[in-house]
Amino acid sequence: MIHVLIRRRIDESKWLLAACSIAMVWFCWLRVWLVSRLDTGRFKEILDLLPSDWQRYTPVDFAWLITYEGRISLVYDELIVVGCVSLWAIARGSDCVSGELGRGTLEMLLAQPLSRRAVMLSQAGVTVTGVAVLAFCAWFGTWCGIHTMSAKQVVAPAFQLPIPLPFVGSEIPIPFAEPETQYIPMVDLVEANLFTPASVSLFMFGLMLAGFSTLMSSWDRYRWRTIGIVVGVYGLQIVIKLFGMSADELAWLKFLSAFTAYEPEAFVRIADEFPQFTWSFMMRRSDGTWIGYGPMYFHAIMASIGVASYAVALRIFSRRDLPAPL
Amino acid sequence: MFVETHSLTKRYRRIAALDACSLGVGAGEVYGLLGPNGAGKTTLLRLLLGYLQPTSGRATIGGLDCQRESVAARRLVSYLPGEARLYRGMRGRDVLRFFAEVRPGGDFRQALQFAERLDLELTRRVAFMSTGMRQKLAFAATMSSDSPLVILDEPTSNLDPSVRATVSEMIAEAKVAGRTVIFSSHVLSEVEEVCDRVAILRDGRCVHTQVISELRRKHRLSASLTGAIPTVPDELVDSVRVSSGSEGELVIEADELSPLLQWLATLPITEIKAEPIGLRAVYDQYHANTDTTA
Repeated sequence: MIHVLIRRRIDESKWLLAACSIAMVWFCWLRVWLVSRLDTGRFKEILDLLPSDWQRYTPVDFAWLITYEGRISLVYDELIVVGCVSLWAIARGSDCVSGELGRGTLEMLLAQPLSRRAVMLSQAGVTVTGVAVLAFCAWFGTWCGIHTMSAKQVVAPAFQLPIPLPFVGSEIPIPFAEPETQYIPMVDLVEANLFTPASVSLFMFGLMLAGFSTLMSSWDRYRWRTIGIVVGVYGLQIVIKLFGMSADELAWLKFLSAFTAYEPEAFVRIADEFPQFTWSFMMRRSDGTWIGYGPMYFHAIMASIGVASYAVALRIFSRRDLPAPL
Repeated sequence: MFVETHSLTKRYRRIAALDACSLGVGAGEVYGLLGPNGAGKTTLLRLLLGYLQPTSGRATIGGLDCQRESVAARRLVSYLPGEARLYRGMRGRDVLRFFAEVRPGGDFRQALQFAERLDLELTRRVAFMSTGMRQKLAFAATMSSDSPLVILDEPTSNLDPSVRATVSEMIAEAKVAGRTVIFSSHVLSEVEEVCDRVAILRDGRCVHTQVISELRRKHRLSASLTGAIPTVPDELVDSVRVSSGSEGELVIEADELSPLLQWLATLPITEIKAEPIGLRAVYDQYHANTDTTA
């Protein structure tokens, strides 16, 4: 019985998932292509033009951000990537109870010998799987980009005068020659696995959002109102996070925003520079001194909010009255 | 009793949608629910299906509590809502297949046969079906399972007269097959035709239960006499009510027709008209001036 229900859930959501997945792969691949076209030096020039205060809006140093890893990691903060995951999570989460109630289809469905738990879990299962697919698509698009693109680099001429310098053993370079433009495969410059923690973070973000949307849907009767509430809270959380980042005296606000836990660039940087902490809850030096919370800590925060929201939603849905459709 | 409610009550703040409703439906019975809008019929059905939590009282289906053992109870029930809403993107055939697969004991072939009898076009998407077609589709899906109880909430409200007849036929077949049917409707003639027993609800209360076969035995006679109105014999006093009479006119309601006719044959009657009392008369005792269809 439950597999029939799951098949139905997949049927009703497959086009949205397919569209979002294609957008994710395509955009992440395109983003790597853009990174490959822009020389590191030129990107540094752009960043140097920014006021130094802007540093506070990124969780990583500008020095690391200009690297290929840094620039590619920014894709996980791009509107299309975050937007696709948010669209999927909110659309499917809000549909769970208030959507079906509004359309009146829940009535016929619950006339069958199906528990409310089965109805909600089938929806949640497909939604969370969809989030996982989208997070994988982001990683896969990045992987495709890295494996198909070559970075344009301007390098000093390789030609040397064949006169050995005394005592040094080196040859004299020719400074008057034109710099060479070389195309180096991105795969030789960047390792795609570095972006796995960012994809995991994106998945946890989607799980959190899907859980919250389902929670709002579980007590509501109108889907439009559910979406309105979720989008309102979403916007508020972003604003709180931005205020928290904007000034030191407002830093405490960051703890009021669940979105503070979504820092994909920081997790890629940790995987790049401190790979031993990629999957750590806490980061400590070898002498035991505290460095900070590890990526897993932030993943766990978002996962906990998502799972707790689903648990509360299930409880509400199991006990509430189901009004007749209007 | 296969379906029982004990002082079942559902309140929304101060409003009682259903108020201490106690009734029982026997296995194999076709049980009608009558009442105007807001009388509590749909609330009662939604409580049986576990959609609503009762404020007090309890309901059981086949001995299973409708709240605590809702899934097991719904295994025994096929339900057709008043205005059935189906997945709009699905085609008619897919809807029937879905409901046949999602329910243990669902029978897709049976559903197709019902759909054929109801003259349904199954290749069309639900979104492009008329309200009546959607209702027929949901009816076919509901009736195709082998559940022992069928609950139909105003099943014919959007249907044309010929399809209504087919629906009544199918309900009669369900009864012959030993299934219990709870049937809510505004159409008195339809209820009278298919039901064994009827509960009349008013303001959330079950105010009267009527056995239809008893109703069929009851008649109203209007007679014109040449002489004075006679006294009713002692042996008929309990089964005959002289409800009104004027000079030379006699209106009698009788539970049994044959002893009354024997007595009337002895009277100087010039004209007589006999008609069954019908559900309308009973219904009007509780709901005069309310909206129903004869």
